[in-house]
Amino acid sequence: MQQQDLRGLRRTAALVAGGVLAMSQPAQANKELEQLSKQNTNWVMQTKDYGSTHFSEMIDINANNVKNLKVAWSFSTGVLNGHEGGPLVVDGIMYVHTPYPNNVFALDLNNPDKIFWQFKPKQNPAARAVACCDVVNRGLAYAPAGKDYPATIFLNQLDGHIVALNAKTGEVLWKMENSDIAMGSTLTMAPFVVKDKVIVGSAGAELGVRGYATAYNIKDGKQAWRVYATGPDEDLKLSKDFNSANPHYGQFGLGQKTWEGDAWKIGGGTNWGWYAYDSDLEMLYYGSGNPAPWNETMRPGDNKWTMTIWGRDVNTGEAKFGYQKTPHDEWDYAGVNYMGLSEQMVNGKKTKLLTHPDRNGLVYTLNRENGDLVNAFKIDDTVNWVKKVDLQTGLPIRDPEYSTHMDHQATGICPSAMGYHNQGIESYDPNKQLFFMGTNHICMDWEPFMLPYRAGQFFVGATLNMYPGPKGTLGQVKAMNSVTGKMEWEVQEKFAVWGGTTATAGDLVFYGTLDGYIKARHSKTGEELWKFKLPSGVIGHPITYKHNNKQYVAIYYGVGGWPGVGLVFDLADPTAGLGAVGAFKELAHFTQMGGGVMVFSL
Amino acid sequence: MKTPIRILTALALGLGLASAQAEQATLKVCSAENEMPYSNKDGEGFENKLAQYIAQQMGRKLEIVAWTDPRYFIRDYVDKGLCDVVMGVDHGDPRLYTTVPYYRSGYVFVSREKDGLDLKNWDSETLKKAQRIAFVPGTPAETMLRSIGRYNDMFNYQHELTGFKSKRNQYVKYENDKLVNEVASGKAEVAVLWGPAAARYVKSASTPLTMTVIPDNNKRSDGEKVGFHYSTAIGVRKGEVALLEQLNKLIRDKRDEIAELLEAEGIPLLDEPETALSMN
Repeated sequence: MQQQDLRGLRRTAALVAGGVLAMSQPAQANKELEQLSKQNTNWVMQTKDYGSTHFSEMIDINANNVKNLKVAWSFSTGVLNGHEGGPLVVDGIMYVHTPYPNNVFALDLNNPDKIFWQFKPKQNPAARAVACCDVVNRGLAYAPAGKDYPATIFLNQLDGHIVALNAKTGEVLWKMENSDIAMGSTLTMAPFVVKDKVIVGSAGAELGVRGYATAYNIKDGKQAWRVYATGPDEDLKLSKDFNSANPHYGQFGLGQKTWEGDAWKIGGGTNWGWYAYDSDLEMLYYGSGNPAPWNETMRPGDNKWTMTIWGRDVNTGEAKFGYQKTPHDEWDYAGVNYMGLSEQMVNGKKTKLLTHPDRNGLVYTLNRENGDLVNAFKIDDTVNWVKKVDLQTGLPIRDPEYSTHMDHQATGICPSAMGYHNQGIESYDPNKQLFFMGTNHICMDWEPFMLPYRAGQFFVGATLNMYPGPKGTLGQVKAMNSVTGKMEWEVQEKFAVWGGTTATAGDLVFYGTLDGYIKARHSKTGEELWKFKLPSGVIGHPITYKHNNKQYVAIYYGVGGWPGVGLVFDLADPTAGLGAVGAFKELAHFTQMGGGVMVFSL
Repeated sequence: MKTPIRILTALALGLGLASAQAEQATLKVCSAENEMPYSNKDGEGFENKLAQYIAQQMGRKLEIVAWTDPRYFIRDYVDKGLCDVVMGVDHGDPRLYTTVPYYRSGYVFVSREKDGLDLKNWDSETLKKAQRIAFVPGTPAETMLRSIGRYNDMFNYQHELTGFKSKRNQYVKYENDKLVNEVASGKAEVAVLWGPAAARYVKSASTPLTMTVIPDNNKRSDGEKVGFHYSTAIGVRKGEVALLEQLNKLIRDKRDEIAELLEAEGIPLLDEPETALSMN
């Protein structure tokens, strides 16, 4: 019946191969998106699918033949800064985005030589100065046509606006201001489409932005709900049974009580990373980031609910659970990163899980129905700020030696402020029950200073020096079982693997490196099977799709972002770029700026 | 020009502290490449003028050694012997020898004359209601803004004033003229600045502005005093006793001339407390 309705509504949808398509009302539009996400011809969201598996069932390209992978075609975006995220592919069109100025290109896969449509927004250039770490953008989102809107591409602009574009023409449907750059708030994350809503986070925690996530109606951009990370319970939108399964995580009133005075108003906890969604539970998952100001002495308390994994009802925004990973953060371990959903056996029972490799170097796995902490382990044995996580209380047991108090000079803190895992989207192979993780292996010295100037004025701050971790390189790739914590294999990479991984049923895991390689490894052993040197370094993720019955792999090149900030802005001082310049000083000998997309096939 | 040399040499010999330093023909002064209104590359700051005057009085050639990061200029310049003297430090700054103070001034509230604001001290109603108060973090103004509960309200504005630059791993400069202009242009109701840093911009503002010296009777919430009046001295590299003595004498002898120079800048000058004078 539903398919009948669909055909009546929109004939083009019938062209979409396979799958039961349900979209008789907007609230079910996500069902179609979910179906599209399961088709090999498409890559409809940055996370590939709602569970953020970044896993494709395709086996055309596989461990045996990947060595024959060749460039099929390429496209220069004409923008030099760091290219995070990846392209989308829907219904034979590839949608390519760029960092600021946030141009969008639609390319017809039947004729990628000619640009199908392009959108070049005009935005306030002042946004560039507000962005902390290059002017990146983590990608577009797609919504299939609904009753009262056409198929839509969503773009978040650095200047804080979300723009809805007609996917067929590139015309602007509507534009809303989500973040005000005059308040230090930019927008770098990818929008996330669920049901009839598009969900957008916020950035700029360090500058006192009080973090929020907002759902807008797809059809007109009207705000459906907005939820905060700090402050009164009604602003946090806590459900009546919030954390009832785990009251020891904390329940009510803490968004204010765990702050001194009204410091929660400038408390940070923005979210600029990735979302995941469970369409059975209708729950949305994401992480809120670091508290503000960064100087921890200025904000005594747990600073809830920064650094928190949220499980929220997508219809209302109401929080079912919240688990704070790093109470009272001292290191800038902004917990906004990847949320990977899986169903695995836990204590003999098939369980809906959420796995989150945090900046703080710990991998958390929660029961995503109620927030139960299933496991928390170090992503690498060199993590030292924490001894372990007490699974009973959910609290990290810290090592005071690696604290960052103003009266304490700490050396060799692992991970550094960049985290052992930053913004990359990882992949999960459900057959092997393995997550493939591109990681950082960077540690830091933290030297606080309080220097007199004159007239009673002091300069208060800290100097961060970052450098390769104890294993000698800046990055690692790991295959990990999230329930047992066992690493199936791990390999070192000279530079951080910043953009994340993509896995396929062809026993492959793909990723890009900062020095500009796209690599394929055997997902059972980690053995390197293929690599190709791209025109510039990679901070985005690979995707794979099928067109005219042929499997392709595509990836952005374009070095930059936080690790490439030294290259982008030509910085020499090792402590510049919040300390990244020193860590990545070698990078300039291996690659230079320049952005585009490169597509491979057999 | 000959006379002062003879006097200084005689003084040094007389004190039995003659050294190569004392007879050197140059006075090496570390000063900022661009920290106005104190000093800049083109010598436009009031401390540039003061340095010239002092060198002239000593009969020495002035050599400017320019630094860019005020956080580390003592450590990286003075302590390493790149220069001997810095023109403006707090009297008693433990990192250096400091001369007798050559002036005392205070933090000021800057506001528009036409607003006729009631701005006597930190209890003023105006400060409780002001939409924007421009200030420099790390100064006593921050401490008192916290104490009266306005710091969080101004947190974002404070970052806006420097274009949202992160203070981690870099020196973020608050431009004194910009802060004064925030008031002149009506963007902020009040700016809280060190009087000497604000003086020339208040004088030259397009809108008539007024400076109110903040009384020195402020306490933090825990009862500890927060100083708003400071005595400024010339800083001398530790160990350079002869130079210190020369400068002390010069400051005492030329107090009126120095005061004239500071008054021309518009700096509000306060009386030196007796105790401070007797320390040297």
